[in-house]
Amino acid sequence: MNTIIPDVALIDNSDERAPLVLVLDCSGSMQEENKIQLLNEGLKTLAADLKVDPIAARCGRVLVISFGGDGNVEIMGDWTDAMDFTPPELLAGGLTPLGAAMRCALDEVESQKSEMRTAGVAYKRPIIMLLSDGESTDDWRQVAAECKNAETAHKVNIMAIGIGDQANKETLGHFSNKGALSLSELKFKELFIWLSRSIRAVSRAPSGGTVQLNPVDSWAQLST
Amino acid sequence: MWRVFSASATGKRNLEQGAAGQDASHCVVTDDVLVAIVCDGAGSVREGRTGSDFIARALAEQLSSTLHADRNLLEVQTEGNARLEATIHSAIEAVRTRLADLAASRQVALHDFSCTLVGCVASPGGGRFFQIGDGFAIQQGAAGDSVLSRPENGEYADETYFLTDENWKGHLRLTPLPAPERGCVIGLMSDGTAPFAVNRARSGFFRPFIDPIAAFLREATAPNGNEALRNLLESPRACEISPDDKTLLLAFVL
Repeated sequence: MNTIIPDVALIDNSDERAPLVLVLDCSGSMQEENKIQLLNEGLKTLAADLKVDPIAARCGRVLVISFGGDGNVEIMGDWTDAMDFTPPELLAGGLTPLGAAMRCALDEVESQKSEMRTAGVAYKRPIIMLLSDGESTDDWRQVAAECKNAETAHKVNIMAIGIGDQANKETLGHFSNKGALSLSELKFKELFIWLSRSIRAVSRAPSGGTVQLNPVDSWAQLST
Repeated sequence: MWRVFSASATGKRNLEQGAAGQDASHCVVTDDVLVAIVCDGAGSVREGRTGSDFIARALAEQLSSTLHADRNLLEVQTEGNARLEATIHSAIEAVRTRLADLAASRQVALHDFSCTLVGCVASPGGGRFFQIGDGFAIQQGAAGDSVLSRPENGEYADETYFLTDENWKGHLRLTPLPAPERGCVIGLMSDGTAPFAVNRARSGFFRPFIDPIAAFLREATAPNGNEALRNLLESPRACEISPDDKTLLLAFVL
């Protein structure tokens, strides 16, 4: 006999989440050369490109942290599934509290992981992408060391990226074991397309493996 | 009071290697008390199936007879019913010791029988889920409200915890269950079933999955219902979603 239960929906609800934290410099200098505008447009590109891919749209989890203003670090809204991600409109002004911003990112990653663990949701190694165009105005050394340790312990993958000539690449380089990269000619759009494609790759990768990200030559400036 | 259906399907991964399925389930209903167990033998050990079979059967029998001998254990079903929890704890300890003896008699390590544990004791006054490792247990009330016992995994990797582990006590999790009313359904499953049986938020059954099954099984005879459940778990679509062994045990309150 071949008994079939009718109308049962069989759908895979188990996608592992791929968390992404964007730590974005919104200090006064980001007003120059229209950088803040290009950054905002880049975020819109990211949001749209993630939604094009059904797996990335379901698996991506995004959080935006901005730093600048009155020396403030601001978490812009809650963690959102990529399919629901609407980028905030960032404004430039004030200082560059890089250390405090990265401290906030590390904390957010850990609390999001613990929330997902409690709910029984599996996840990939989170990515923190730090973008800055200037010189840190707070005490960053201790946090930078913690960032490197977190990377070594496979807790997080950190990308530190300098925007323009004024970015202190040496400082940024202390936040990741891979050092810092430089954004070539304000190619924000290319950067965020690359990031979206990376989230797609991470979303599809088998559990526990190391993901080889795409080459960065579409947006990164080769060291001079 | 209870109608119980269960089925296991061997996953693609084991079928391709000519290996047997590693899942096992067993259920004992005595009067109005349900004791049900689902175990998933570790794929990485040779005797995973022996472990899961032995534990599912022995633990369900042992718990059921202890509870039958002393109904008082089920009397006070508040959060703090320490006696019921102690009973579950010592039943697991006792069958684990018997499994260790079996391992010794076959000159293998207890580790070679590694399996996870998802179980429940449910009576008219309430009960407990108990779990070590992955898999899910869900009690869905008539109004759709759910109590869950969720998987415990290591970070990122496919790593979980086993009843056979040295520190199993540190990973045993007990969840109090409310009194099951009419229309309530209890489901126990191994990790191969969870991707399509549990919803995205991990807060209950995936309703478009469970509702048609519940409607069908409420009208089905036991052999017919079990076969239908197995056909579902063996279906190409289910295999496409998960290559693992799949077990689903469903208990309905009449």
